[in-house]
Amino acid sequence: MKLGIVTETRPEERRVAASPTTVAKWIKAGWEVAVERGAGTASSYPDSQYETAGATIVDRDVAWHADIVLKLRPPTLEEPAQLREGSTLISYLFPAENPDLVEALAARKVTVLAMDQVPRISRAQKMDALSSMANIAGYRSVIEAAIRFGSFFTGQITAAGKVAPAKVLIIGAGVAGLAALGAAKSLGAIVRAFDVRPSVEEQIQSLGGEFLTVRIQESGEGQGGYAKEMSKEFLEAEYALFREQAKDVDIVITTALIPGKPAPKLWFADMVELMKPGSVIVDLASEKGGNCELTVPGQVIEHKGVTIIGYTDLAGRLPKVASELYGTNLFHFLDEMGGAKNYKVDHENDAVRPALVLEQGEKKWPAPPMKKAEPPKPVAAPPPPVVAVAPAPKKSHGHGGAASPPSKAVGATMAVLGLIAAGVFIALRFGRTDVIASPETAALLQHLTVFVMAIFVGFQVVWNVSPALHTPLMSVTNAISGIIVVGGLLNARTSGGDMQPSVIVAIVATLFATINIAGGFLVTRRMLAMFRK
Amino acid sequence: MQDFYNSDAMITAAYVIAAVLFILSLRGLSSQETARRGNLYGIIGMAIAIGATLANNPDAAITTTLANNPDAAVAHAAAAATRGGFHALLFGAIFVGAVVGSIMAARVAMTGMPELVALLHSFVGLAAVLVGYSLDLKTQHSLAHRIEIYIDVWIGAITTTGSVLAFLKLRGSVSGKPLLLPARHFLNLAMLAGSLVCAFYYAKTNNQIALEIGTAIACVLGVHLVAAIGGADMPVVVSMLNSYSGWTASAAGFMLGNDLLIIVGALVGSSGAILSYIMCKAMNRSIWNVIFGGFGAAPPKSAGGPAQPQGEVQEIVANELADQLKEAKSVVIVPGYGMAVGRAQHAVRELTEVLRKRGTTVRFAIHPVAGRLPGHMNVLLAEANVPYDIVLEMDEINDDLPATDIVMVIGANDIVNPAAEDDPSSPIAGMPVLQVWKSKLVIVNKRGRAAGYAGIDNPLFYKPNTKMLFGDAKDAVEKVVAALKS
Repeated sequence: MKLGIVTETRPEERRVAASPTTVAKWIKAGWEVAVERGAGTASSYPDSQYETAGATIVDRDVAWHADIVLKLRPPTLEEPAQLREGSTLISYLFPAENPDLVEALAARKVTVLAMDQVPRISRAQKMDALSSMANIAGYRSVIEAAIRFGSFFTGQITAAGKVAPAKVLIIGAGVAGLAALGAAKSLGAIVRAFDVRPSVEEQIQSLGGEFLTVRIQESGEGQGGYAKEMSKEFLEAEYALFREQAKDVDIVITTALIPGKPAPKLWFADMVELMKPGSVIVDLASEKGGNCELTVPGQVIEHKGVTIIGYTDLAGRLPKVASELYGTNLFHFLDEMGGAKNYKVDHENDAVRPALVLEQGEKKWPAPPMKKAEPPKPVAAPPPPVVAVAPAPKKSHGHGGAASPPSKAVGATMAVLGLIAAGVFIALRFGRTDVIASPETAALLQHLTVFVMAIFVGFQVVWNVSPALHTPLMSVTNAISGIIVVGGLLNARTSGGDMQPSVIVAIVATLFATINIAGGFLVTRRMLAMFRK
Repeated sequence: MQDFYNSDAMITAAYVIAAVLFILSLRGLSSQETARRGNLYGIIGMAIAIGATLANNPDAAITTTLANNPDAAVAHAAAAATRGGFHALLFGAIFVGAVVGSIMAARVAMTGMPELVALLHSFVGLAAVLVGYSLDLKTQHSLAHRIEIYIDVWIGAITTTGSVLAFLKLRGSVSGKPLLLPARHFLNLAMLAGSLVCAFYYAKTNNQIALEIGTAIACVLGVHLVAAIGGADMPVVVSMLNSYSGWTASAAGFMLGNDLLIIVGALVGSSGAILSYIMCKAMNRSIWNVIFGGFGAAPPKSAGGPAQPQGEVQEIVANELADQLKEAKSVVIVPGYGMAVGRAQHAVRELTEVLRKRGTTVRFAIHPVAGRLPGHMNVLLAEANVPYDIVLEMDEINDDLPATDIVMVIGANDIVNPAAEDDPSSPIAGMPVLQVWKSKLVIVNKRGRAAGYAGIDNPLFYKPNTKMLFGDAKDAVEKVVAALKS
């Protein structure tokens, strides 16, 4: 299989889909790699390095004719014409926003996998290009702000006087927001981060940031690590908080994005005007229209002394590392699809299926929901305004958990029990008539039915017990198996009151069973009382 | 006059309610939030069952008959005197049992939980054996009834002696090493055959000696079965005995024709069976291998045995570790039986608090068979007030370990042994383990250089990113906390 790495054609784009390091890994894994002449030049990867890594340097049309074409930015509307029919394209696509492009690709009967649609599940983290790029953009946003900010980030006391540290407000503590937080903090600034999701508080604090939120009981936790839309009261409280902060902070970095929708507006003109002259706003959402009302995508403007940076290529401004990381994401993605040897589009793979947009020209997006995958929210008419934040780093312990009952084992058990019941039935049906007729056999059969049903119920109930509670489960079952006390009591009672040996033995049995009951329940209570959140 | 309290309807209704409450009780354990309510349902169910059994007085019917018969009434009055003594004895037994049970439950340390659970299992078995004998002594029985008595006594006896041995092993009074007699499979078979012969004889002739011999064989069998199982498999043994105690209760139910006992026994039996299955799966071993195997029997002895790990272990002292922890952003703690033995859970909790206050992310990774009981570590950490939302299972955390700065392994060995994945000749090959060696730095706290319970060396200790913190778990962790605070 031949991979083709083509030059990015979008103006100002300096990145490339793979670095020589990644190419070397592909060659080692058994792929053939063709790199378009000059594809990596802007990322400081000259052709010679790709050649050393084992790739062939080819012309544009040859690279576009490979079995699998690798790209970073979505292709232009013209570019699909260069694809060979039946080949595969892997790149960013944003299918919700680019329906024309999807049509153009469909006309070429190609298979298209969108790197922006890789699901946010722990297994797919190594293929999550959006997170890789968000991380870089977050870092770069701080650098851009520092260049235009007229003072130090860190506070200093010098012989020439005292300099206050810069105050940075980050809106949205997703991957980009947290990267910005870390970068600003390491430059010495005082950093605050706002997010609608209470769960990110810990992550913000772990990086040394101060967590700001609105004190209204509403969690902004949405699907797949994204935030959801908030109520009107919440938004009003949020804007009030922003106006208060606007007077105080020097740098604002906004990172709020909703997949498949324009970026929410949350930093209005009046907030900009509240800021001190010399302040800087970096709008990481500018490609999707910007979080700040005054942002001009792709440009830096000044409004009443406040600089508003609307670059759409922040990750591309670190082309070398961005290409490297994107290439690694692609490498893991191809690896997940089976590598050079067993490459195929597996519809059962919950990391790959959501990214599949077209298969041989046939539309496959959006993917049907899978049990573990969290497909991005489909486009819906949104009630404006909307507040949400960029992808958060995946919460690693969100899903998974309790062992699911192995249906095979339960099935086998049930089958065995069924056979026993059938066997008993047949034995009774065709056995000796006097045995069948006896009331004892009838009772036995009835007890067996109860027994089998109870086992079934037991299986169903116990599978749901959380593994953390296995010890209490054991002690509680221990206590209830003390029900044998009923046997002791019955035996002791039915004897008419005489002190026969059988009664004494039954009383001793009662004694032991009661120890069990009291001990089991009490110890369970003790244990359960300790489980605190 | 047949009043309601003595009617069959009342007792049946009470038993149905009790059975439903027991089911709800187990259901309640599906989450921490509902677990306490679940326990309460169990208590109520038990109270109803016992109350109904006591209230239902079959003598009342006799009394009514006797009232019409003056001669018999005199005889009955004489009997009533003895009955007074009988009642005192019965309620005395219940009272003493409740007090003893409560004291045991209140006194036991959380680290001693496995022992208590094992001991309580033996009581169920013992009670079942006694009920069986009591029934046998009382009257002549039909063939089917005798078979049921025999089964009840037999399973009960295995449970009793097996649990007692498990208790002694867990307490350390008996060595945890598996006792592997040369012809143990043959011995088991022989005992099984002997039991069947006795069963046949007892059923046929109603000869009590046959029942007694059968009981004796079952007692020996119980000991032998548990003796053959190694210490590392103790969680499976305890859950298996839990299952046995359930089946015992069920057998007693058949014997007495009592549906409540059958239902509860089946619930407990399937619960224990599921736990055993989960534990076995966590160790990647078949249940048969655990029951009959004992370690060392299963792995092929080819290729000159497991490869000996090469290299030197590197030591770290508390101060150095504290410095490393100050730098770390994420820390994962892997507790094992050593933490339970050293009673270090409170020190570990303190360490967690100190680190979390510094902004470090601290989480716990629990292997399904860590400790000597299923869920043992969770109980200990809960006792020390570690919030349960930072306590994660193996499957939840394994993927995060490569991104973790420091993993602290406290008193665990086999569950973090890379040989399970790398070395096909290792006795624990194929067992899912916590992949701690993938993190940036692994700290292993161990008392000394001895091998784990499975008796195999751990290549983890020789990895370049592993440092050993030797010393008693509690002391070592407390020293680290002190160094962190200073």
